[in-house]
Amino acid sequence: MTALALGSFAHEAAFREAAAQAEDAGRRIVGLWSPMPIELGDIGEETAQPIAWIAIAAGLLAAVGFYGFIWWTATQAYPFDSGGRPLHSWPVFLIAPIEFGALAAGIAGMIAFIVRARLTRLHDGAFDLVEIERASSDRFVLALACDEGEDGAAVIRLLAEAGAVHSRVVTR
Amino acid sequence: MTDAARWLLPSMLDHRAITDAVCAPLTDQKAGKRWWIAVLVALGVTGIGAIAVGVSLVYGPGMWGNNSAVVWGFPIANYVWWIGIGNAGTLISALLLLTRQTWRNAINRFAEAMTILAVSIAGLFPILHLGRPMYAYWLGPYPSTMGVWPQWRSALVWDFWAILSYLLFSLIFFYLGLIPDLATLRDRPGDRRWRRIWGTFALGWQGTPGQWRSHQRLQRTMAVIATPLVCSVHSIVGLDFAASLMPGWTESIFPPYFVVGAYFSGFAMVVLLALVIRSTLHLEGVIRPNHLDAMAKMLLAAGSIMLLSYGSEWVSSLWTGEAADLRFLQFSFTGPYSGMTYGMILGNCLMPQLFWSPALRRSVPVLVLVALGVLVGMYFERILILCNTLSIGYEPTMWTLYVPTIVDGLILFGTGGLFVLLFLLLSRVIPLVPMYEIRELAETAR
Repeated sequence: MTALALGSFAHEAAFREAAAQAEDAGRRIVGLWSPMPIELGDIGEETAQPIAWIAIAAGLLAAVGFYGFIWWTATQAYPFDSGGRPLHSWPVFLIAPIEFGALAAGIAGMIAFIVRARLTRLHDGAFDLVEIERASSDRFVLALACDEGEDGAAVIRLLAEAGAVHSRVVTR
Repeated sequence: MTDAARWLLPSMLDHRAITDAVCAPLTDQKAGKRWWIAVLVALGVTGIGAIAVGVSLVYGPGMWGNNSAVVWGFPIANYVWWIGIGNAGTLISALLLLTRQTWRNAINRFAEAMTILAVSIAGLFPILHLGRPMYAYWLGPYPSTMGVWPQWRSALVWDFWAILSYLLFSLIFFYLGLIPDLATLRDRPGDRRWRRIWGTFALGWQGTPGQWRSHQRLQRTMAVIATPLVCSVHSIVGLDFAASLMPGWTESIFPPYFVVGAYFSGFAMVVLLALVIRSTLHLEGVIRPNHLDAMAKMLLAAGSIMLLSYGSEWVSSLWTGEAADLRFLQFSFTGPYSGMTYGMILGNCLMPQLFWSPALRRSVPVLVLVALGVLVGMYFERILILCNTLSIGYEPTMWTLYVPTIVDGLILFGTGGLFVLLFLLLSRVIPLVPMYEIRELAETAR
């Protein structure tokens, strides 16, 4: 059976302080939840950099592919002389691929985000913790692992000293 | 006072207060009598519009004022006007995000909602204007048995891709911003059914650093893509005209001038919505007089650019010395539509100049008056672009005036009702102010 110490903070500064102190004290941070975007240096999870590149790559690919499709329909599949304009009227053929490329980038970015952020898990163990409900509203929540055989008092003290408005130990 | 503190009432510096203020209308309060009355009125107006659309579908475009010279008329003017309003939301949200304007937080959500509703409405008009709307799907590329593909050189096909891409992209951008707030609603006490719905759309959002990092990264990436996308969408609308050879339309200034015009009319609508939302949903602590001041400055800047654009258009016509261009200019200022030309100048260029006064920038009646003036002025502009040029083109035997019919008027009236109706319904389903962004602002201000 493992024990977790959960600390709830009212403000970002105290939350950051607690996370930093826990790291300094060699405590393992099991989870962090906040009602607004925060950057905690290396604490947390992996970088989100690939999302931008996935979106851009998908957008470019879709735009080039769509341009190729337009070229094929206008010059090979259905060549149509419209007022003597060239079959391959490239300036106007650029319009639809640019729009479609932007849309494809948005869709690919959204899919990458869902995968990267591990979303669509509507039932997750974290939702069993009442603290998490307030982490989407007005509390910053920090979960620290307690050492084997530890009753959690030291961790609770650390959280309280850092400014936690509420803290408790849970076992799972 | 820090810059962030200018945008929030001191009582809103607490995260709980922010959540309560924004969520209360959705979770704690029942829809009031005023809301129901507004919904019923909007529903009635929408119904009248739907009847007018039905009449048009049964009897055809002959029910409109369009004639053999002015072939575009109200349907295209309505399209350009609505898509202009629709362009502003995402542009405001994306541009202000990229330029790190903290005051965007209070207005971006409902501006984006406005975009989605206005673009959806705008998209109806080219379809109706086809005359045979049941064949609208011909615009899309599909392998038909006849082996026919869309005509990619046609402005109509450009519009199809511009509207479709922009609408879907805006929907994704809007939904992305909404996810953390839906999680807030999911976790608040309240009606179980609604919490389930919000929870499903929140996709299991927890607010971990990794999720926030991914969310912020995608939001910025989409803002970078959205800005040129928005400009391209209304540029394409401008190209519908500029790519032709008609006097008054063959202007290289049209694409940028259309983009500014769209931003201008959209911002006017955002001002009106902001005033209604802050007063009816009691969000005075989040939408502050400083926001009104900032939005009024935007209207002033855009109104001044519009004046410059009109001036450039008129001077260009004079400069060319072309008989058709000079005739067009004279017709604009002295012809039967000249009243609308002066109304356009008054609403779009002169009324926003009131905002040089700091006191008037914060005056609610003046803001309402100017925003309505801009919306009416921009509508006149859309009508004039079509009617002036098409009424007095190169061929004198084709000269004829355009007079809209009652059906034209009722369709426009109905779309106004539909916009209000959908916005009212949305106001009971989603938070119209992004809570997590306001919390960020509160942390900075503290």
